[in-house]
Amino acid sequence: MALKRRNLIISVFALAATAALLLWRPTVLIYGLQAAGLYAAIAIPMGLVLGIVHIVNLAHGEFMMLASYATYFTCKALGMDPLIAIVPTAIVTAIFGWIIFQLTIRRALKAPELNQLILTFGIAIVFSQAINLVFTSQTYKMPLDYVSASMDIGELTFGIWSFVFVAAAILFAGGLNFFLKRTTTGKAALAVGQNPKGAAIVGIDVYRTYGLVFALAIALVGAMGALFLTKSAIFPTVGSPFTMKSFCLVAMAGVGNIPGILSASVLLGLTENFLRAFRGSREWADIVFFVLIIVVIMSRSLKGRKS
Amino acid sequence: MNRTLARSLPVAAIGVAILLPMFMGDYPLQVARNIMLYMALAVTWDMLLRSGQISFGIAGLFGLGSYASILAVVRGGMPGWLSIPFAGLFAGLAAFLIGFLILRLRHTYFSIVTLALGEIFRIIIHNMHDFSGGPEGIVVQQGIIFGGASRNLYWLTLAGLAVALLASYWFEKSKVRFALTAIRNNEISAKSSGVNIFRWLLLAFVVTSAIQGMMGGIFVMSYGFASPETVFSADFTLLPLAMALLGGIHSTVGPILGGLLLGLVSEWLKLQIPYGHLVVYGVMIVVVILFMPQGLLGLARKTMRAAGRNRK
Repeated sequence: MALKRRNLIISVFALAATAALLLWRPTVLIYGLQAAGLYAAIAIPMGLVLGIVHIVNLAHGEFMMLASYATYFTCKALGMDPLIAIVPTAIVTAIFGWIIFQLTIRRALKAPELNQLILTFGIAIVFSQAINLVFTSQTYKMPLDYVSASMDIGELTFGIWSFVFVAAAILFAGGLNFFLKRTTTGKAALAVGQNPKGAAIVGIDVYRTYGLVFALAIALVGAMGALFLTKSAIFPTVGSPFTMKSFCLVAMAGVGNIPGILSASVLLGLTENFLRAFRGSREWADIVFFVLIIVVIMSRSLKGRKS
Repeated sequence: MNRTLARSLPVAAIGVAILLPMFMGDYPLQVARNIMLYMALAVTWDMLLRSGQISFGIAGLFGLGSYASILAVVRGGMPGWLSIPFAGLFAGLAAFLIGFLILRLRHTYFSIVTLALGEIFRIIIHNMHDFSGGPEGIVVQQGIIFGGASRNLYWLTLAGLAVALLASYWFEKSKVRFALTAIRNNEISAKSSGVNIFRWLLLAFVVTSAIQGMMGGIFVMSYGFASPETVFSADFTLLPLAMALLGGIHSTVGPILGGLLLGLVSEWLKLQIPYGHLVVYGVMIVVVILFMPQGLLGLARKTMRAAGRNRK
């Protein structure tokens, strides 16, 4: 009862704050939501891997970066639009992710957590430095006109293309929810995530499921890589901040809580853009995320201590 | 015979390290300085790892020490030599305060928080334009310590490395080792045997952070310049980590070995390929974790044991 009441109070406060923000600085809300969509769409696959394979994939953002580079050069060569490349990229990166899983991560599944963490850290370095080696640190960008599409409401003008990220995030969350709850493979994956030994006893091939889930997550990240390319310039280390942000969001939402990732992303996106809206605090927007990650982890650990 | 060799080898190594500048030009000395710097960081990273805590925040504390040192000189008028121990003290104090918060965390959470803290330090320094010089960095107007004499700078870095090695030796030979190993192996049983886990972790964290900060001080004093991008560079986390892993973790010799090997290889590669030579570090980390988690040292021990068995 008390919990329900507290939740009610929190949501009323959140609604009031959003309304106030909407009246006062509408752009904060719009750009905040767009940023939140991008963060969530990238974080959801990481949440999937962490929830089922129980691996913190520190090469998460690097997979996206690789997909972006692959898309860029394919599209450049064929004169194709990155939007058409989303599905092929997802398929190719899924295969690539599956191979990487079988070659490296699978061998470390039983190893101590230290080894897994350092392993994926090493993979991240290999990816970003290999790209650095081949393409140098030069930035690449796709010139696309539809990206600068904008909309006017009264006095206000804002870019609308980035709402595509919000759509992607909602699509990912909904799709995964359907996959995990309604399909046989998805249910098996969920079972493996909850109890690998039990799942093995009832006849689920645990390692095959791990590989599948990992490949699926990398496919989603790959699709995001192609989508990301429409909006942003790419360079070798473009993915690494997203690894950190994704981990922060997943940790905030709690492992296995995909809808939670959406709300955590909204919080992060809004706070960042709120600080960006003012001259004095613009430069401090980057710090929000790191402070948030520490606060979240600390409060979680304290809560765990109490119970 | 074996024992005399084991005794005389370190003595010989120390002798060679001290006398090296007599026989070498400026460029090799600078390479040696770089290697010693990373080696010291690798040893300190490993010292904390002996308690089972993986820090990804070496660059953060290194950068913090760097700025403590250079700001003390430029803004506070401190003499250059004094700013180096000051940097260590400052980083140690910061670690002491931070430790109260974060040393209750374990596993991935600890690692991620150390990484985040490093980034927070970087952004703060980056944004305090008037005090820290902002993104353009800050220069020591009084000139580099020792007038930039490369021999003296070499000995200075060697002294820093010596501090790190002595601390590591102390960790290995005193009861600190038992405490940290007990915590690493099984925290609950360590606690029930009366090991005050938090206190030992705090000790390890403060000592290693202080040394990392001090190395930062030595680094900026040797170059007379610091900017957020150089001193908080991810290399300062990455390279020591790879070195310690390659050489063999949970020992003093391992990081030295790995540092020597990777340091020389990377210096050579840097000349061959300007972009992306760090890929070697990534590959090294992956290969070591997958195929020889005990590093070169573990591999050597294994082969020696196998050879010994065959002889019998």
